[in-house]
Parts: sequence; C-alpha cells; structure tokens
Amino acid sequence: MASYAHPEVLVSTGWAAEHLSDPGIRIVESDEDVLLYTQGHVPGAVMIDWQTDLQDAIVRDYIGKERFAQLCSSKGIGNDTTVVFYGDKNNWWACYAFWVFKLYGHEKCLIMDGGRKKWELDGREWSRDPEASYPRTQYVAKEPDLSIRAFREEVLKHTRAGKPLVDVRSPGEYTGELLSMPDYPQEGALRGGHIPGAVSIPWSKAVQEDGTFKPAKELEKLYCKENGLGRRGRTIAYCRIGERSSHTWFVLKYLLGFGNVKNYDGSWTEWGNMVGMPIERGPQPGAVPSEQKPQTTATG
Amino acid sequence: MTMPVAKLDQIVAEFADLEPRERLELLLEFAEKLPPLPERFVAERDAGLHRISECQTPTFIWVEIVDGRVQIYANCAPEAPTVKGFVSILVDAFSGATPEEVAASPDDVLKRLGLLETLGMVRMRGLSAIQHYIRQQVRKAAAD
Repeated sequence: MASYAHPEVLVSTGWAAEHLSDPGIRIVESDEDVLLYTQGHVPGAVMIDWQTDLQDAIVRDYIGKERFAQLCSSKGIGNDTTVVFYGDKNNWWACYAFWVFKLYGHEKCLIMDGGRKKWELDGREWSRDPEASYPRTQYVAKEPDLSIRAFREEVLKHTRAGKPLVDVRSPGEYTGELLSMPDYPQEGALRGGHIPGAVSIPWSKAVQEDGTFKPAKELEKLYCKENGLGRRGRTIAYCRIGERSSHTWFVLKYLLGFGNVKNYDGSWTEWGNMVGMPIERGPQPGAVPSEQKPQTTATG
Repeated sequence: MTMPVAKLDQIVAEFADLEPRERLELLLEFAEKLPPLPERFVAERDAGLHRISECQTPTFIWVEIVDGRVQIYANCAPEAPTVKGFVSILVDAFSGATPEEVAASPDDVLKRLGLLETLGMVRMRGLSAIQHYIRQQVRKAAAD
C-alpha cells in the first residue's frame, strides 16, 4: 500500500493555512488542555471541547442529536461545511471530535495532520483573538451512526467469537500494572488488565516525532503484518475513555481503509468497573472463557 | 501586608466578576506569570524529584518554610497551561502564608474560581491533587 486509503480526509498544516478564511471551511480546535486555545489558536478557528461541549454533563453519553445541531449552529458549522479538526496530544481529541461529528452524520470532516505540534514546528502564526463568531446555521443532525460505536455487550460477543479487538493503551495499562497512562492519575477503573482477546497496539506507534501520522506502508506493517489485523470483517478499538481509540479508529478506517471499525468509547473505565466481566492480566491477549458469563440481570 | 488567606479570597473575587471566557484569559495570565524555577532546584527536577505523581503533566513543587512563612516554588510543562495557571494561583495565594493558614484553605478553590463548568469534572480531579499535594508538603515542612 503506497498511500493512505482515504488521503482526502487528511490535510497538511500548509493547506489549512491557505484556507483560513474560506467560508466553506471551519477549523475546529479540540484539546486536552482547554487553555491552549486561549494561549494561541489557528487564526479563525473555533473551539469544541470533548468534555464540556460534546459530552452530556449528567449521563455518561454524548450530547444527543438536538444539542449537537445547536452546537454546530452556534459555531457557524452548516451541514455542508468542511470541518477541519486539530489539537494537542497528537490530535487525540481532534480525532475524538471527528468521531463524534461522524456519529451525528457530519459528512465533510478532515484532520489537520500533526495538529498543534506541527503548526508550532512550522513556525506558523498563533492567534490570541477571542473565538470568532460566525453566522448561525440551521444545522440538522442525523440519528447517531452506531456503525462506528460499539457498546459493551457487543464487545463481549465480538471477542467471544474471536473477532479482532485492539487495545490502544500503553503497555502497562494493557498488562494491568497501571490503571491509567503513565503519569496520569491512576483512577477511573477498579480492575487492571485488558479485555480478553484484545491485541495490544499502543496508539502512539501510529505517529511520528512531528505529530503527523506515519506513512501508509509503516501503518500497514504495524497493524496488518505484525498484528494480523485485516480489512475484512469488523474491528473494535478501545482505550481508557475512548479518546486514544478514536485516534486508532481514524487510522484503521481512513488511512488503512478498513471497511468496518468501531470505537468502544465506554472502554476500560466501563469494562474494568463492571461486575463479573472477564479480564485478562499480563502480556498475552488471552480469550474469554466460554463458561464465564457476566451476570447482568438479577431476580428478586 | 495582605493576609494570605485574604489573598486567596482576593483572587477568587477577581475571577468571580468575569465571564467564563475571561476567566480562562485570567487563568492564562497566571500561567504566564509563574516565576521561573530557581536554579538551585533544577538538578532535583531533572532527577524527577518533587514531582506530583497524580498530575497528568510533569508538575514539580517545592515547599520551604522561612521564618514561619510558606514559600512555594514550582515548575510546570508549557504544554499544559491550565495546570500551570492553577499552580501559579496557589503559589501566589499561599506564598507568605503561615502553614496553619495553608492547612485551613478551602478544598473547593477551583469551584470558587468558577472554573468547574469551563474545565469539566474530569480535569478537576487532577488539579485538586495539586492543592492536596501542596498542603501535604506544607504540613511536612512545618513538622520538620
């Protein structure tokens, strides 16, 4: 494979710089650190926060179709707008926002390759202007596209059937020594380990030093040759809360052209907290014991 | 001289009058005015000492008590301005306070600053750990 399967979803920082005032394009920053946008953003970019904008504040879920439409309208994003996502941390949150936009059926989504890091390395301009206000749109969101989102029962069935599951967390989280990334608060799950059957391919292996994605050939080698994943059938990716796995979801679906990839956004903070779920500890993928069934219903 | 606890109240009051966006700007101002780490601590930082392990980005804190007054020095990663801003607020509020005053500082500083809604719950936890760490270090330094 000489080039990405869908090279059109990835744009360079140079391309973004040339399209800053294109009315058909909205550049969106999504970060782990919310203050980075205030500190300096791509001129004209708006900010969408994964937590306070995209997630419901009470129920652990996304904001829902109506509020998604309101959010897009308020940021001047119409159904036809091309949205270019970028952010800190090798575009984790950018990929996460991209995934949520796809969930609600937004068609034209792009990722600015390399994110904040590459923009900075290029020596490009950062703006400290307050977020620009664009004319409101009459955005109409679609029903969530569940072909890209996996839920726990489906993940259990999937792995029990021996289908491909990718754990994109750090090696220590996979083996169960750590409950979160190294240097992150070790909280969020009561048990350590991974979903039985999952192969470990840390997300960071897909990126280069300058924050951009590795070339197609190297990605192919990593995911397909070394770890045996294939384009046919369904692949599910997960991490701790679904952000790093949306990065891998993007790589598999758009850069390698896998036909059917889902992000399990419940991820380890759901799986590692549920009563009775099978867990594998150690470096081996393992498998779900056939007799082990989680008790999900109770009587009396 | 402004009393230290009053200093924290003063910062809280400053934040209270602002719009959410302006609060972020003020937080950034704090991040930018965190004094550079004194040379004498650099070797310890490079050796990984004095690091807050609960904090997701490299954050280092030193606490000293000089003539009964708390002195705090900190070093934060530039790619995490939120952490840096909050550390800077605490350094500003607690420097010059007595250990008792730091111990008695409220637990909900972030909420008082009106940053809860802007930052979201997940980010709050890591930041709260910084204040706990500082109080713990102040307690230790005072006991020595």
